[in-house]
Amino acid sequence: MIPVKMLEDYKTIAGKCLRCSLCKFIPQVAIMSQEFSTVCPSIDRYNFHGFSGGGRLVMALALMSGRLEFTQDVVDVIYKCTSCGGCDVACKYLNTLEPLDVIQAVRERAVQLKAGPMPAHRAYIQRVVDTHNPYGEDHGKRFAWMPGDVKVTDGARTAYFVGCTSAYRRKEIAVATARLLSKAGVEFTVLGDGEFCCGSPLLRVGDRAAFEDAARHNIGALQRMGIRRVVMSCAGCYSAFKVHYPEVQRSGFKVMHTSQLFSELIREGRLKLSKEVAEVATYHDPCHLGRCAEPRRGWHGVEFKVLTFVRLSVPPRQFRRGNKGVFEEPRDAMRRVPGLRLVEMERRREYAYCCGAGGGVKAAFPEFAGFTVGSRLKEAKNTGASMIVTACPFCIINFKDGIRESGGGMRCLDLSELLLEAAGGGAD
Amino acid sequence: MALKLSREAYAGFEAAVGAENVSESEAVVQIYAYNWGVELNNIQHGRGFSPFTNPPAAVILPSTTEQVQKVVRLCNHHGIMFKAISTGFGPWNTLSREGAVIMDLRRMNRIVKVDADNMFAVVEPYVTGAQLQAELMKHGLNCHMPGAGPQVSPLASSTSMAGPGFTSPSTGHSARNVLGVEWVLPSGEILRMGALGLRDAEKADWFTGDGPGPSLRGIMRGLMGALGGLGVFTRVAVKLYRYPCDTRWQIDGYAPDYAFEVPKHMQFHIVDYGTYGAMSEGLRRIEEEEVCLMCFHTSAYGLGAIFSHKIGEFIKSMPRTLGVKHPLVIMVAARTRREFDYKEMALASVIKETGGKDLTAAKRIVPKSLSYAEGLRSLLGFHGFIIGTSFQSTHGGMETVEMCSRIIQANIPLKKRYIERKALGPDKGEGAWSTSYEHGHFAHVEMPSMYDQTDEKSARGMAEYMSECDKMDLKERFAMPFFIVGDEMHDLYGPQVSNYQVWLRRIKEALDPENISDPGFYISSKKERGENGR
Repeated sequence: MIPVKMLEDYKTIAGKCLRCSLCKFIPQVAIMSQEFSTVCPSIDRYNFHGFSGGGRLVMALALMSGRLEFTQDVVDVIYKCTSCGGCDVACKYLNTLEPLDVIQAVRERAVQLKAGPMPAHRAYIQRVVDTHNPYGEDHGKRFAWMPGDVKVTDGARTAYFVGCTSAYRRKEIAVATARLLSKAGVEFTVLGDGEFCCGSPLLRVGDRAAFEDAARHNIGALQRMGIRRVVMSCAGCYSAFKVHYPEVQRSGFKVMHTSQLFSELIREGRLKLSKEVAEVATYHDPCHLGRCAEPRRGWHGVEFKVLTFVRLSVPPRQFRRGNKGVFEEPRDAMRRVPGLRLVEMERRREYAYCCGAGGGVKAAFPEFAGFTVGSRLKEAKNTGASMIVTACPFCIINFKDGIRESGGGMRCLDLSELLLEAAGGGAD
Repeated sequence: MALKLSREAYAGFEAAVGAENVSESEAVVQIYAYNWGVELNNIQHGRGFSPFTNPPAAVILPSTTEQVQKVVRLCNHHGIMFKAISTGFGPWNTLSREGAVIMDLRRMNRIVKVDADNMFAVVEPYVTGAQLQAELMKHGLNCHMPGAGPQVSPLASSTSMAGPGFTSPSTGHSARNVLGVEWVLPSGEILRMGALGLRDAEKADWFTGDGPGPSLRGIMRGLMGALGGLGVFTRVAVKLYRYPCDTRWQIDGYAPDYAFEVPKHMQFHIVDYGTYGAMSEGLRRIEEEEVCLMCFHTSAYGLGAIFSHKIGEFIKSMPRTLGVKHPLVIMVAARTRREFDYKEMALASVIKETGGKDLTAAKRIVPKSLSYAEGLRSLLGFHGFIIGTSFQSTHGGMETVEMCSRIIQANIPLKKRYIERKALGPDKGEGAWSTSYEHGHFAHVEMPSMYDQTDEKSARGMAEYMSECDKMDLKERFAMPFFIVGDEMHDLYGPQVSNYQVWLRRIKEALDPENISDPGFYISSKKERGENGR
């Protein structure tokens, strides 16, 4: 298992914040314009320094040193953050701090002290306990979207983990994924009643105990079915499985996002894209598929100091910079869609701007989620694209809300929907 | 707990900028009590080892000059000390007194104007260097970037701080780049300097800071700037320069291993000299020729850090870099082949004449493509932090190239004492950054030293070393140090230098008789300090 650190483990790191403000911007050498130079939705919206990655490091230090307590005001700042990790990438360009891990550790401490999470989070956590999904939907209808023309193979070694949002709110993504797998001849099964919420929405707001319950359940269910490979549509599910389930227990199965599998199937010629989609499209990197999806590695070795202050570890410890997530595969799949022209936004890959929905923000602070998605959509439109494609149903929800509120002007599709269109669609 | 404002004052601030843009919540104000280097300042002033200082009673976020003026007038009315900050990097962005307020100028982030024909841009406080440069590149133009990094404010550097940079040989320093200024004085009066002061609004513009309106640049900032002690600068015009090469900017790969498509006609040269004297002669001669975009001296240790992006790279580079003696880092940039060839030839000729060895030509130290981007964007200095600790600079100021060399050499034995105590990082005492301005006529030097800001022993050692450096500057009659700020230091230095502290205090008195603009990193008016400033 990968060990989990406590808040106090980060005291030295928090005390090394330079207050340099690099965390507020994309890496400086990547800046192409003033308008799209920032990376942190929270400081962009709320402006006071405490709402930045560095400000949250200082807040953690103030909490640990007793200058601050977990008051309602403090909790409010703690949760007005999408925990997108943009600050983390920007800081680590040259510094060696861990803003995102500290943000997570502070949230977990808030929950331990019963100061957090926000009421809206408590409500959805309770719904997960009651119905195994944060929407409070009927667990028995989790796979009600499954099209009749798609064959689910009992005993298959590949499982499609549909995730709560695709199952209940963006069923078209689940349908498209099942049809694409079917078209490509991938034998797959589903967990049925055995699939619970992956726990990502619980972990993001600091309820690690509830997350661990969810993780143990899902790992157990998949292991009992003899699954060797689990595939998911949702970036949140993917990062929960890929990065955080190993903190709970070993699983023994391979974790893949659908974008990875689709890219592989297209390259192997098993998924044929023959229908032209003559549009200009841009791709939005979901935070939890991109920079936050870099797996954690355990480390066993020795650490010593050289040159008085330099800590060296042998073998080298992993330093997660957010650059080993899933970035290329979705783009590769899009480039193979006939007629489609992929154009990039200025903020992309590991320094993409968040859609604004994650970290519990959509539930607790919808106005903030709307502010952020408005900025991202402006950037998408600035590319000249008529379509924004992403690979996360929760991002899709926020984009569709943002497009509706801004009066339209852009199509938003999950990668699976785009690929199904290019593959000639399916029965309906 | 931060001191609280009266309800009347708080309501006034809310009315001035909107309730959402004022906060006295502990969750907000305590964060402004922290900054880089505060622990050193605390130690030096006998306040103990802590990275926190006084929290503001409130933080206020104005978005226009008019709102700044309202806030300043309210502060005067209620007798509340204030400090304005922009990008806010460094201890001088914190408050020296309890019960004061901070104006965080984050919402004032507009590039007001780019006048490509007359080569100046007008910016507000929270426009960063990188943002301005990115927009200027669309016009084929460039600006001076402070060495503190591309994320800091050109306005703050121009009006209120020292402002040397990596391209100083070709773009000078911040004091030389400031033109028209819009300034909310501590009284709340708005002063428009230089050509901006023309009564005829149709003709008023930003192209010069020296008239026909008032020319007060020396009073406004002098050598170091007032570091927040003389009111609020709300808009400033800065000089622009032709972008030194092709403006295409393409990075690929992932942070921090980006590959940069190096524009045509650009070349780094790492040139080593056997002695400080030869290095200084090389620096001066090279800059006389006006062929370099940048040309600076750093130590062998600094060389390793500047061209590494990870600790491992830095360690691996050491066998190559530690054998280097007294290097210059030079970048040549040109817009045409002919210009480039000329500059390269001139440089090669000077290197030969001054006895330098071009380690890049010999392929001993070859900067990667990303270093070119970082050179253009003023990100090389930040590499001082890659080893995972802090650094702070000592000495400093503007002097001759030769004097800078003397300061570096004189400092080595002092610094070695603290290295032996393991308070500072082991750079053989040679850690330095020195560049020249204006074709070698004068230069800047500072001695960055690595220390661990979370380790009390190291921080106390660093603080003591900084004080020793200041004393050395005085004793040896070196240049005016970088961080002579606050009453105590000015009163120590002033009597040695024309009693300048008397004049500085008179300026403060004239512009801020109520001492309401936080004097902590500048100087207090007589009212607070007494007639002789003590």
